[in-house]
Amino acid sequence: MKLIDYIRIWLACARYSVVRTMMFRFDFLMWALVEFFWMGVNLLLVQVIYDHTDSIAGWTKYEMLLLLGSSMVVQRFIMGFVWTNLFEMARNIRTGHFDFFLSQPGNPLFMVSTRKLDLDGLANAVVAVGIVVYALNQLAIVPSLADLSLYALMIFCGFVINYSILLITVSLTFWLGAAQGIEGSYFTLMEFSRLPRQAFKGVASILFVWLLPAVVVSNVPASALIHGFNLANTLWLIAVTLFWLSFAVFVFNRGLRRYASASS
Amino acid sequence: MTSLAKYRHAFLVGLQSNIIYRWNFGIRAIFSLLHLAFVFILWGAAYNGQTHIGGFDLNQTLTYFIVLLMMQFFIGAFNEDYQISEDIRNGLINQFLLKPINYYLYRFSIFVAARLVSGLLVIVPLLIALPLLKDHIVLPDEAWRLALGLPAMIMAALIQFTIAYIFGLLTFWFLEIQSFIILSLAIETILGGQMFPLDLMPAWLFRISQWLPYYYQMYFPTAILTGRLDWTSALNGLVIQAFWVLALLALAQFLWSRGLRRHTAVGG
Repeated sequence: MKLIDYIRIWLACARYSVVRTMMFRFDFLMWALVEFFWMGVNLLLVQVIYDHTDSIAGWTKYEMLLLLGSSMVVQRFIMGFVWTNLFEMARNIRTGHFDFFLSQPGNPLFMVSTRKLDLDGLANAVVAVGIVVYALNQLAIVPSLADLSLYALMIFCGFVINYSILLITVSLTFWLGAAQGIEGSYFTLMEFSRLPRQAFKGVASILFVWLLPAVVVSNVPASALIHGFNLANTLWLIAVTLFWLSFAVFVFNRGLRRYASASS
Repeated sequence: MTSLAKYRHAFLVGLQSNIIYRWNFGIRAIFSLLHLAFVFILWGAAYNGQTHIGGFDLNQTLTYFIVLLMMQFFIGAFNEDYQISEDIRNGLINQFLLKPINYYLYRFSIFVAARLVSGLLVIVPLLIALPLLKDHIVLPDEAWRLALGLPAMIMAALIQFTIAYIFGLLTFWFLEIQSFIILSLAIETILGGQMFPLDLMPAWLFRISQWLPYYYQMYFPTAILTGRLDWTSALNGLVIQAFWVLALLALAQFLWSRGLRRHTAVGG
């Protein structure tokens, strides 16, 4: 299959998702509100802390807001584009319904990851971007087009990293079978992207900044907007993105092989 | 079978089925510890440069979160609402209409069994992490805290379960209660004190939340035990908490009888 075919398939899935969302409007509103509320919860936490202190690891309130907003943008894109699909993949693997995806033309990873769009997640992505814009405003930072392009690229890298971690946790279902709730581990692992890098010291730094790619996802883009372009950080982010994507695809393919051999 | 023996039996069945799912609880416990690491790092950074926030030092705040974590596994409702919802959707509820067993008490017995299992399972990773944690644990030494904290815990468990039960009962009216549950979870997370100790909120907001049931679900017993509430607040709180237990039980009973009227039992 050629690239244009994949794009056509993705557009068809997108169209289907929009139609379906409009059919179940109440669901869409409900989930959009729920996600919106969760974002509010996180913002409230930041507000409460800054009511009592001036900085968290050297980050001021609006710098922290920018960091949090960046983390949220990535999360909302994950929820909007891939989360439901991968969550259902875990369920399908357990029930054997996954065979359906294997029988479709095209790369199974692509087919399984892009089945649906979650419009409530994407709607809240707009809110997250709004938070970033608000923070920039309060910090009196006016990024140039180059800065914004770099930020967008970094957010995309963050998205790919998050996708990879999610894919790995979901792929564990190939081996663990009935261990329900393993998908929830993704949220706990990536929670750390809501923290500034300077908050991590010693062992925590090695574990959560270098080994687990959570912190790099939000900190590198946010720092780039606040402090300007940093070559070392950018290269670090790209290297981490490439590593985790390849590793995730590797894990998925190994799991796929195991699954395919089991059902024959 | 005597009245109590029925529920003791339900308790034992619940115990067995929850032990089967011990891995689920185990995994949850481990990830809760990971969340605890997040909390430690965040608050450690927030305290950087000052010794007290809201009148409490870093270790007292960290102790709050550790005790809160234990509370969640000892008295929190996990997926009781979903289980009750399933019972209604699958028609399993019908057997309870025919038998002399109270569905609420039946479900509560299972809840107690489940909490026993999950509570013991969270102790394991906590014990393993104890070398890292023990320097940060600082508990108050007033004896009355235990005397007031225990009834607060028991009532909190009742409130937790009854709210979950009520959400489960909503299935009589709504087919899909997932979004209600998650929204309630979000409300609980803030107003229950899981994101930050509620006493850090602006005073007026704190006073309002003292009248809401969520305050008494997790924050209240934790705050008593970790020294964040004084004697007067604790006593007043117990009274309000008892009111909420009764109010929620009444609501649950009301919804149950109303729900049954809507419920059509198809087949056997």
